[in-house]
Amino acid sequence: MKESASYRVFRVFNAILLLIVVAVTLFPLLNVVAKSFSDMKYIASNAVTFYPKGFNLKTYRLIMSDSMFWIDYKNTVVYTVVGTFINLFMTTIFAYALSVPRLMGRKFFTGLAVFTMFFNGGMIPNYLLVRNLGMRNTLWAVVVPGAISAFNLIVMRTFFEGLPRELEEAAAIDGMGTYGIVAHIVLPLSKPILATMTLFYAVGMWNTWFGPFLYLDRPEAFPVSLYLRNIIAGASQASGTDADALGEVASNVKAVTIVLTALPIICVYPFLQKYFVQGMTLGSVKG
Amino acid sequence: MSVIGRKVVVRKIAAACLAFAVIAVSAAGCSPSGKGEAVSSAQPASSEAASQGASSQADSAAPGEYDFKSEKPVTFSLMFSDNPGYPLKNDWKLWDAIKDATNVTLDVMVVPMASYNDKRSVLIASGDAPEIIPKTYPGQEVPFIPSGQILAVSDLADKMPNYSSEVKAWNLQSDVNTLLQKNGKYYVLPELHESFNVDYSLCVRTDILKKNSIAMPESWDDVYSVLKKLKELYPDVTPFSDRWQLGALLQIAGPGFCKTNTGLKTAGADWNSGSTFYYDKDQDQFVFYPTMEEYKTELSYFSKLVKEGLLDKESATQSDDQAKSKFENGKSFMITTNSQEMNDLRTKMDAILGEGKYEVAKTNIPAGPAGANLVGTRLENGIMLTKKAQEDPNFETLLKFVDWLWYSKEGETLAKWGIEGETYTVKDGKYTLNEGYTCPAYGLNPDAKDAKDLRKDLGFGCGVFILTAGGPNELAYSMMNDEEKAFIENVNKTRTLLPSAPTILYDEDQREAQNLLVQPVMDYVNQMSYKFILGQTDIDTGWDAYVQQCKTKGSEKYTETANSVYQESKKAQ
Repeated sequence: MKESASYRVFRVFNAILLLIVVAVTLFPLLNVVAKSFSDMKYIASNAVTFYPKGFNLKTYRLIMSDSMFWIDYKNTVVYTVVGTFINLFMTTIFAYALSVPRLMGRKFFTGLAVFTMFFNGGMIPNYLLVRNLGMRNTLWAVVVPGAISAFNLIVMRTFFEGLPRELEEAAAIDGMGTYGIVAHIVLPLSKPILATMTLFYAVGMWNTWFGPFLYLDRPEAFPVSLYLRNIIAGASQASGTDADALGEVASNVKAVTIVLTALPIICVYPFLQKYFVQGMTLGSVKG
Repeated sequence: MSVIGRKVVVRKIAAACLAFAVIAVSAAGCSPSGKGEAVSSAQPASSEAASQGASSQADSAAPGEYDFKSEKPVTFSLMFSDNPGYPLKNDWKLWDAIKDATNVTLDVMVVPMASYNDKRSVLIASGDAPEIIPKTYPGQEVPFIPSGQILAVSDLADKMPNYSSEVKAWNLQSDVNTLLQKNGKYYVLPELHESFNVDYSLCVRTDILKKNSIAMPESWDDVYSVLKKLKELYPDVTPFSDRWQLGALLQIAGPGFCKTNTGLKTAGADWNSGSTFYYDKDQDQFVFYPTMEEYKTELSYFSKLVKEGLLDKESATQSDDQAKSKFENGKSFMITTNSQEMNDLRTKMDAILGEGKYEVAKTNIPAGPAGANLVGTRLENGIMLTKKAQEDPNFETLLKFVDWLWYSKEGETLAKWGIEGETYTVKDGKYTLNEGYTCPAYGLNPDAKDAKDLRKDLGFGCGVFILTAGGPNELAYSMMNDEEKAFIENVNKTRTLLPSAPTILYDEDQREAQNLLVQPVMDYVNQMSYKFILGQTDIDTGWDAYVQQCKTKGSEKYTETANSVYQESKKAQ
């Protein structure tokens, strides 16, 4: 089919517009990466744009030699792996249960989950809850609160509802129990949604810092996102003495820490982005 | 029924039990715990044996010279604000030094500095806070008072000889009284300065002034003529391009024009910090400064600078980095600064302009039409003590320890400089950092190679325990370079520190009502101040409308309430 002239014009404009968006989005990223490799002198005089000036690896060596950085990095990996697994497990079984039409109290449980999307106990009641459950200063304080994202739950439930009931009924007739059906019929068919949810949760757990900040007291237990936040956010008080001491943590250190923390996710994204796109629409269309 | 049917029934029952369990567990999570519920006002500890385990100088020593050592080893918990510039290490020499000197081990709860305020709120509200909470700025303790979790330290001051003797000797009682709450007590132990420390001022390119035989400005009128001359000599340069979005500049100018802090609130910081009144001592009443004629004079002054192209219009919006960059690259000649920023400026300018090719210095605080005044407090961020401390069997020892570490010369010196003979030597009141140690942050032995960093490696000079320029004069000046010392001495010699205004003792409801009332007014004042300065609204024609608007928004009611509460509380005392 021949393209009409107006369509070709549209395509050109579209391409230009999107290229501008790409450039605007890409520039800050390139700027940070460039700063991480640049000399302090050029950063101070705002000479660094999107390629490094005075290329050196000094700051990288400095950060990588800080043992706390690696300890926190390891923590992030542990929290992400354990957290993603727990999140995925809990969400899947909850979502599947909600997707079965004959569940007693189905509306009630769904309502309960949705309720949490809008209402929150608040910082202090949450803190008290976690503390009273004895989870403070442990791994569980990071991975258990907020293990089930209500949004992801609804998406998964919709997906499970979309699976043909006949398959389950056929399996039931053949004598399979509920758990068997889940393990052998439902899960194998749910690979796309599981992959998407894994990615959502993994990225969330990689970046989480508020829970760890609230419930953990020892710097050796912090994830690297908290390490980064402490360096970047700066002093929250007005004192000149401390705020300026913080300025010693120079902008190239901030840049390097940002790059090192974001690097794994950035590397993984291009390979998994098709699942992301799929996942966005997966929960939406029924049948 | 078939096998399937029975299975379904069993499953239904199991599901119901599980559902019940879920509800039960979530209900259990809501049940209140026993701790932290009773709201009781803090009473000083009276039951335990007096001076248990603590030995200290009995009657009188010089202020700050009471020493302390616990008879038996004790442990106290402390909240530590972790500065990422020198993160806490468990093997810091500081901990051993404190232990050797006092027999006290500190159980430290580390909180990243960026989240210190939030975490502190959560911990206090939940009753989990450690016994000693430093880095609390006067005013920050107020929200915690109703919870009953922090102690009324005013009742404990008599058990802290270093603190009380210093307040007396350095004439700080009126400053301390500004911390009083309506019940006549105060809840935070402020850290003390013997001398008023001025930090913020104008930084100017003295080499350019010298080249053109221009004298350093001493008053705002001088500043105007200096800038005018610079503009004539360098017509392409706007001589004054400010940072901190003019907020700090107005704070510096306040005392000279209005005898009070008139700083502005910016996106990055609140240079106003709740200042709304000028206290008229003769009339013994509070005046709302934004509607005073003197404030009009102040704003007119800066508006004139902008109109004549002497003060860069972009100062109101540009980022600190942009402003600094202009100055560092020689595209402006004046900028507001503080002492630590001076170090930073010099480092950058050495790299950009070249060492020796420029010269910068801080001006004296310019005098204004209202006088050569300074406004400020000699109190700094301080320490809260929590209920947990009171319940500690070694409470009296804890008090003496806090008193020693933060208020005795010995304790402060240890925290700041380390161990005499090892990390530093002192001779005739002059402190030097020994060889093998460095502290570039304070400009001590900055070029030493293979040296241990006093802060990063040893933990001395740590912001949680010391003040950069506080405490007794000798210690305050010890880390300053000669330039800083000369600056502070000159300012204190040629400028007068105005006495602090008395406190208006609101009760909780009144305070809340006043805060709600004044917020929109001050927001309007802030907004109009910028408009007047930048010339967007003409100050001569627009002033009356502005004053009228302030009144409409409630400034008169606010002032009346403040004055009546003040008069009442005076009668009551």
